[in-house]
Amino acid sequence: MPVQQDAAIVAAVATPDRKRAAPVRVPVALAAFLAKGADAIEFLGQIPLSTAALLAARRRFPLRDFIRVTMQCSAEALLIVLVVNVLVGAILAFVGAVQLVKFGAGIYVADLVGIAVSREMAAVMTAVVMAGRTGASFAAELATMQTNEEIDALSVLGLDTVAYLALPRVLALTLVMPLLYLYGCAAGLLGGLLVASGMMNLAPSAYLDRTVEALNATQFVLGASKSLSFGFLVAMTACWYGLHADRSAAGVGQATTGAVVAGIVGVIALDAVFAVCANALGW
Amino acid sequence: MPAATLALPAPSDRPGSGAPVLEVRGLEMRFGDRLVQQGVSFTVPASTIFAIMGVSGCGKSTLLRHVIGLLEPAGGQVLLGGTSYWDGDDAARRRLRTGCGMLFQSAALWSSMTIRENVCLPLEQMTDMDQRQRDARATEVLQWVELEAFAAFYPADLSGGMRKRAGLARAIGASPPLLLLDEPSSGLDPIGSRRLDDLILDVRQRTGAAVVLVSHELPSLLAIADDGIFLDADSKCPIGHGSPRQLLESGTNPTVKAFMHRERLPDAPGKAAP
Repeated sequence: MPVQQDAAIVAAVATPDRKRAAPVRVPVALAAFLAKGADAIEFLGQIPLSTAALLAARRRFPLRDFIRVTMQCSAEALLIVLVVNVLVGAILAFVGAVQLVKFGAGIYVADLVGIAVSREMAAVMTAVVMAGRTGASFAAELATMQTNEEIDALSVLGLDTVAYLALPRVLALTLVMPLLYLYGCAAGLLGGLLVASGMMNLAPSAYLDRTVEALNATQFVLGASKSLSFGFLVAMTACWYGLHADRSAAGVGQATTGAVVAGIVGVIALDAVFAVCANALGW
Repeated sequence: MPAATLALPAPSDRPGSGAPVLEVRGLEMRFGDRLVQQGVSFTVPASTIFAIMGVSGCGKSTLLRHVIGLLEPAGGQVLLGGTSYWDGDDAARRRLRTGCGMLFQSAALWSSMTIRENVCLPLEQMTDMDQRQRDARATEVLQWVELEAFAAFYPADLSGGMRKRAGLARAIGASPPLLLLDEPSSGLDPIGSRRLDDLILDVRQRTGAAVVLVSHELPSLLAIADDGIFLDADSKCPIGHGSPRQLLESGTNPTVKAFMHRERLPDAPGKAAP
């Protein structure tokens, strides 16, 4: 490139016009953010509409895809959900034991683990695991379909891509999450039991008796409600990022990262809302 | 075999003699504020193979996406079988779209489905065939593109050329009156490319469909296209109309001449004498 042109570019970059353009970027970015938000709300609304159309038998449901995705987010996730929840239960018991033993209240570690696991940790940790595992998988799969023009090919057929691609994933993860939550609860309690019996020499029967006494149905209803909401949130976020990915390899990566980050942050934020509501209701 | 739902004129044996299956009037295409092309007008009668030509990035594939309704034009009209696509409601648009078959540049086969399922899904959506009829039709079109032995394979198990042929089988399965082919020969060896050309001519011969074709491959364009349009990336409008052969023999625009004769543009870099 000729030197004169280089100089012209440098001068252009340094002109007051360029400086004046900077504040303009803020409203543009804000408008883009608001447009994205409006798009996400529209997407959220499409799910119940698609479900209603499905129930009215006006739409073809991709049953095979639904079964495949359900397998992917249930049976195939059992091991990682088990490992994470056993460890979380064990960590809670370990931390609790160190403090409670000082006051001769070691047996109450069962209360701590039972309540913490059933109210909070099983639902939250399982949702975080599913956001990283299944959410990432949903986003990457849909983003790759976007890159390969597969979603365009579905649109050409007049198929509603939200109903055809997002609905089976959202339904699968939403329905499976409460079951995974119960499984996670059992795993967490097992982790607590292992530490209590191994480190504190508590009798397993005493630990289990104390756990049963500490828990009530409200804890499980709250935990299951959370897991249902978390499953819906994680699946919706993943599908939204996947279906709105850029048509490139980088776009697939960005969609996957976005889905995992938004999924995890969303789960924690929603858990905070649940905590406030549960407190207000006296649960 | 049930016909596609779009009411279109009967196919003609002579290329170019039928009423228009597709008519594009003064189309303007934009991405946000960026103009892609404007003033694009052409007509494609039944049994015609119409080529969209131009250098990379001039908006050829974008034009196909406007024709099939994946993108909304900034101006102008797209008429399918005489009906304006964007003037109708969603149901009307869906009906019009079922009269189009499209082969995407990447073939765009659904990766979670076998080749047979890929061919059957459009039949399920676009026709009233029952399962048995769909299977029979899928077998027929897969035999046509010589892929019947691969019906149970997944797209990832096929070569690029086979995927293109499977994509063509999927596009023609419901016998649409309008076929849109986005760079069907790209990435194929000369033999595979020629084979695909023969298939396209065969489809036209057998179904009387109008074919709109985006391609860079001159031998292919010269061999099969009856008519065409040349889009210019610089002026953002068409700069040539006519069959590839006419443009080759009598095209006067420097860009068209350079493209058709595979020459450098007059002001292109690297033109300096050795």
